[in-house]
Amino acid sequence: MIKLSTLFWLVVVSTTGFAMFAVKYGVQSLEDELNRTKKAIIAEEHAIRSDGAEWAYLTRPETLDEMNRRHLSLGPIATTQLRTTLADIPLRAAVPVAVEAPVVAVADPPAGSAPPTILTSTMAPASLEKPMEATEVAKPAPAKAFAKPVPPRRPRSLDELIAQVAASR
Amino acid sequence: MTIATQRFDDNPCRPRHFKPPPCVAIVPDGPAKQALDACRTRLLVTGGLFALVFAVVALRVVEIVAVGGGTAESQIGRFRIVTAPVPSHADIVDRNGNVLAATLDSPSLYANPKQIVDAGEATRKLVKVFPNLGTAEVYAKLTSGKSFVWIRRHLTPAEQYSVNQLGIPGLEFEHEERRVYPDAALTSHVVGYTGIDNAGFAGVERGLDGVLRGRPEPVQLSLDLRLQYILHEELQRVIDDFTAKGGAGLIMDVNSGEILAMASLPDFDPNHPATPDPDHPVISLADRMFDRITLGVYELGSIFKIFTVAMALDYGTATISSTYDASHPITIGRFTISDYHGKHRVLSVPEILMYSSNIGAARMAVAAGAQTQREFLARLGLLKTPKIEVSEVAAPHYPAKWREVNVMTIAFGHGISVTPLSFATAAAALVNGGILRQATLVKIRDGYAPQGQQVISPKTSEQMRRLLRLVVEHGTGTMAAAPGYVVGGKTGTADKVSGRHYAERKLLSSFVGVFPINDPKYLVLTMVDEPHPNKQSHGYATAGWTVAPATSRIIQRIAPLLGVLPVDESSSEVQRALMVESLQGKRIEAY
Repeated sequence: MIKLSTLFWLVVVSTTGFAMFAVKYGVQSLEDELNRTKKAIIAEEHAIRSDGAEWAYLTRPETLDEMNRRHLSLGPIATTQLRTTLADIPLRAAVPVAVEAPVVAVADPPAGSAPPTILTSTMAPASLEKPMEATEVAKPAPAKAFAKPVPPRRPRSLDELIAQVAASR
Repeated sequence: MTIATQRFDDNPCRPRHFKPPPCVAIVPDGPAKQALDACRTRLLVTGGLFALVFAVVALRVVEIVAVGGGTAESQIGRFRIVTAPVPSHADIVDRNGNVLAATLDSPSLYANPKQIVDAGEATRKLVKVFPNLGTAEVYAKLTSGKSFVWIRRHLTPAEQYSVNQLGIPGLEFEHEERRVYPDAALTSHVVGYTGIDNAGFAGVERGLDGVLRGRPEPVQLSLDLRLQYILHEELQRVIDDFTAKGGAGLIMDVNSGEILAMASLPDFDPNHPATPDPDHPVISLADRMFDRITLGVYELGSIFKIFTVAMALDYGTATISSTYDASHPITIGRFTISDYHGKHRVLSVPEILMYSSNIGAARMAVAAGAQTQREFLARLGLLKTPKIEVSEVAAPHYPAKWREVNVMTIAFGHGISVTPLSFATAAAALVNGGILRQATLVKIRDGYAPQGQQVISPKTSEQMRRLLRLVVEHGTGTMAAAPGYVVGGKTGTADKVSGRHYAERKLLSSFVGVFPINDPKYLVLTMVDEPHPNKQSHGYATAGWTVAPATSRIIQRIAPLLGVLPVDESSSEVQRALMVESLQGKRIEAY
């Protein structure tokens, strides 16, 4: 009987011992991993800090102003462009106007005309809405039917703008 | 029976297989029993102590696992958890979160010459990476026999990478930090700059050094980078157009005292404060470092008349319809006070401000008295050093003895020098309903108006708004008008003191503009130092021709950014709010 209890305790002691070391080494390796991760986080944070400073440098008003002058030529908002109340905004025409060049009618033309290559590339997104007219525009022959060359339409998204700028090069 | 058992057990002839029956322990009486009892007690106490210690250990384990949530940390070196080093100084950002100053890691390279194997080879490789370093100098350092020499401070990440690529033993990096100012000269006078150990040397860097040190989150200034750029650009334009010596300006929220933009030109690059400006190498470093807004004290001239008029109206020594004789120059002692835009007749209070009459202002101040004038200016904070978050501030200059001649000259802004900052703070109080609030460069949370001090009555403030509108509508400041934004303001052209006399040709032109004047929100103060007339200005270098048009341009550019919507200036609502009754029905003479 005494032997049995001794055996029991022996088993308990060795199991606990084993478990303890297993946990200890487990914790050690986890802490190593934690340290590695934390170091990586710190490195990332430093990188984010320098990127933040670089972003601030690249987007400083001086640069933006120069980029605007080079690519967009946007001017300060004039008083006449501002609408203060909802009533000031003119209502849309009730009946859709049957125009030959529907999309380009809203674009304000910059000075000078655009080469026909831009026309096709910038007209492409419009083809989603009005496939018939867009294909017409894409062909050079009906384009001549317009009184004046169609200027590039105002970009609707950043990607579109980049595409326009790239095409104008 | 007990005796019998004992005897039986002690029997030496007892057979080995014979086991005596169980029996009760014999407890002898006397000293033996006492000794046994003592043993038992000690055993119990020791056992109890052990149990206690184990209980403590067990409880601690439970606490760590269950209660503490795993916060316990190993103190053994290998297992110490690394923590992110907090930058020594917090970043500075503008009111929209744009970075104005950041602390970046910038390792410095040092060498341990004792560990350098081939100094010649190492020198050649290092000079290749840093072409600025002299070969002889590096070689001398590497063969010095010391155990520590700096090779180069503050490397860029690319440079650090190149040095690591060289793989030279004995070269080490020391972790260091460096302040970087992405906007360079644009915010130089506000943000300031730091020395090599990031100690603040000027501007907010110095003024808020204690706050910035060891703070985890950035400090947010009231500055708006977009406005700052516009102000800076327009000031530069005025300086270029009129070949001026310098210029300065600020944009302030009149209802909170927040400064949204503040510039002083010429300026410097805080990243390299000591290097000369490549475009203007002639301009001295001291001149570029000088902040004209907070450190410069100037006799601001006619724009000071707004205080004279406000004083007379607030103390009741004059009303809007009072008149003063401005037909002849005043001669007092060796001084003669005359008008630049002379009308040579009796002028009413609105006309004095509109046509900027020195004689009228002087007479108005004399009527109020020296005591009143001094008290009023002190109440507006013009006789003490302004308080602001930048470290460079200057005390005003004013006469110790306030004689009659001083009263007269101070009435039109001569004989008293104040910082443009003090002026703007006081001017904001005149239009915002009469509450003086300290100017600040730190962002005030939205919708919170800091405590102020009522310095003039709301009624006087309203009258001042009407009068300032009149100056822009019909007076000397017509070129400051910005259609739709209802600008009100006052021009000021002062002769600069040179030596002991006023120099006729050296002017200091300034303009204070407030918009929309019917519900004042923002104040724009612009100032240009020694402008020279050009062709477009028809030979004038006065405020009306130099800084007033600049103010108009600035307001037209910043108003949409500030969310100020244009109104119809001819609408009856605006007209009624800005009407000056005493001038109703009278023909207003062009100045």
